[in-house]
Formats: sequence, structure tokens, C-alpha cells
Amino acid sequence: MKKHDHTDHQSGIIDSDCLEAFDHVYAYINGELHDEETKAKIEHHLSHCKSCYSRAEMERKINDRLKAAQKPSPPKQMKKRLKDLIDGF
Amino acid sequence: MTDNEKQQRKAWFSQAVDDCMSSLYAMALRLTNNSADAEDLVAEAVTKAWKSLHLLEQPDRFRPWIYAIQRNLYISQYRKKQARPDTSSYDALSDGCSDGEIAALLIEQPDEFLSWWANPEEAFVNGLLGDEIVKALDAIPEAYRETVILVNLEGLAYDEAAEALGVSPGTIRSRMNRGRTLLQKQLWLHAIDAGLVSQDSIMEST
Repeated sequence: MKKHDHTDHQSGIIDSDCLEAFDHVYAYINGELHDEETKAKIEHHLSHCKSCYSRAEMERKINDRLKAAQKPSPPKQMKKRLKDLIDGF
Repeated sequence: MTDNEKQQRKAWFSQAVDDCMSSLYAMALRLTNNSADAEDLVAEAVTKAWKSLHLLEQPDRFRPWIYAIQRNLYISQYRKKQARPDTSSYDALSDGCSDGEIAALLIEQPDEFLSWWANPEEAFVNGLLGDEIVKALDAIPEAYRETVILVNLEGLAYDEAAEALGVSPGTIRSRMNRGRTLLQKQLWLHAIDAGLVSQDSIMEST
């Protein structure tokens, strides 16, 4: 498979291999692509298509940043409230 | 149930709540935008979960189960009370994700964005902070936002997120595709505002 751009901007045509990759790439990077044949196909495509590979790498980095993003901590009084609530059940 | 069994059950429940308290609160805060309402929502969800505990078939699915309880409580009570406008219609969301839909999704994006997306500046991506991405998430429609949050922030598997949201795993996959594309677009707008998208890349794409 030759390397190609993600889209043909003159005609608006999007490569069918890229479309298939797009369909599965989030499941793939989220570890949710369980069909081995499809997985192999996506891996093959990513190893040959610079655009889809770059995008998948960006998505992975965004996933890493999201995982590391600060979450609001539950206020101390809420922890106590829930403890008291459960104690009363 | 003997007293001893009830105490054991309560101890298990208390630990299970404790294990997901941070996520429950974070999700409640995102839903209500108000810390007092968020605390009330979590407390109500915990109460309802205790009363319905006999309905939990698989104890290892406690997390998506109580997320679903909390979300349903929010939908039935808080959203009505707050009269918050929903930014998207759940009914109108597609459950499928055919090639045609994907093509339509990509074609409706500006060429400049697609060009940037295909070859994002590494410096921009590396410089992005998690908090900036979370802010960008706030701008996408609720159904997609909550799917991305459950999967990518809270770390739920697709089938767990599906259980929490009361939809099929296929719908989660479909919403992830669209939600993440909309997120990329927000990040692209952010990159333009910050002067991080090179003019050359915009010119090349036009």
C-alpha cells in the first residue's frame, strides 16, 4: 500500500482505507478492537499511511493527557457525609 | 439476612463507594456545575444504590452500575430543576457508524482542519495540557462529551460505558468517533487562537 494523504482536497474524496482506519482507530488505541483480522488490517494501514499514523499518534497523546488531567477532589465534608449515610443504612 | 451478613454487605458497599467516590463526584460536578448539587446528587445515588443493591447481578460491575444510577437521577431530577439546555438531542444521535456516515462526518469539516489533523504540529500536541483538553471537551455536545469522559478520563471499557449510559457498545464506538473528531476540531480552533497553526499549512490546504 502506498503512502498517501488523508484526503484529496481538490475533489473532497476520502480514501476508503483511511475511512476504514478512521472507523476503527479510536477502538484500536483504546484497546477495544478485539477482532484480530481487523486489528491486523488497521496496524498494516497505520504502518503505511503517514496521515493516519500521525493522527493516531496525536490521539494517543491526547488520551495520555486526558488520563493525567486533574480531577476535582471530593470535599472532605462529602466524604464524611457519605460515611455517615452508609453507617445509617 | 442476619446482622452479620448485613454488616458484611455494608462493609463491601462502603468500600465499593469509596473506590469510585472521586469519579462519582467529578461526574456529578460536570453534570450539575455546582458543588452543593454535586454532593447531593452523589448522596442520592449512593442511597438509591444501597436500596437497589439486590439488583446488582455482577459485583465487579458496581462502577458502571452506580454511574448509571447517578446519571439517571440527574436526568430525572436535576436537569428538570435546572432547566439546563441540552446541546444535542440524544434521540437524534446515530447508533451506527457506516462508511457513509464517516465520510459525511469528515467531509463536513473544513479542509484546513483536515489538513492540520492529518499532520498535526508535534510541538502543539506535545504542549497541550490535560486541562486545556478538558476545557475543549466542554464545547462539544453532551452525549459525546460524557462518552469521551467515561472512556478516556474515567477509564471505563466500552461495555462499561455502554452500561453506564444505557446504550449499546456500538453506540459508544460511534459516539467516540464523532466525539473525538469534534474534540480535535476544538483543539484546532484553540491552536489557531494561540497562533500555533502555521499559515503555510493553511495556505497549502486551500
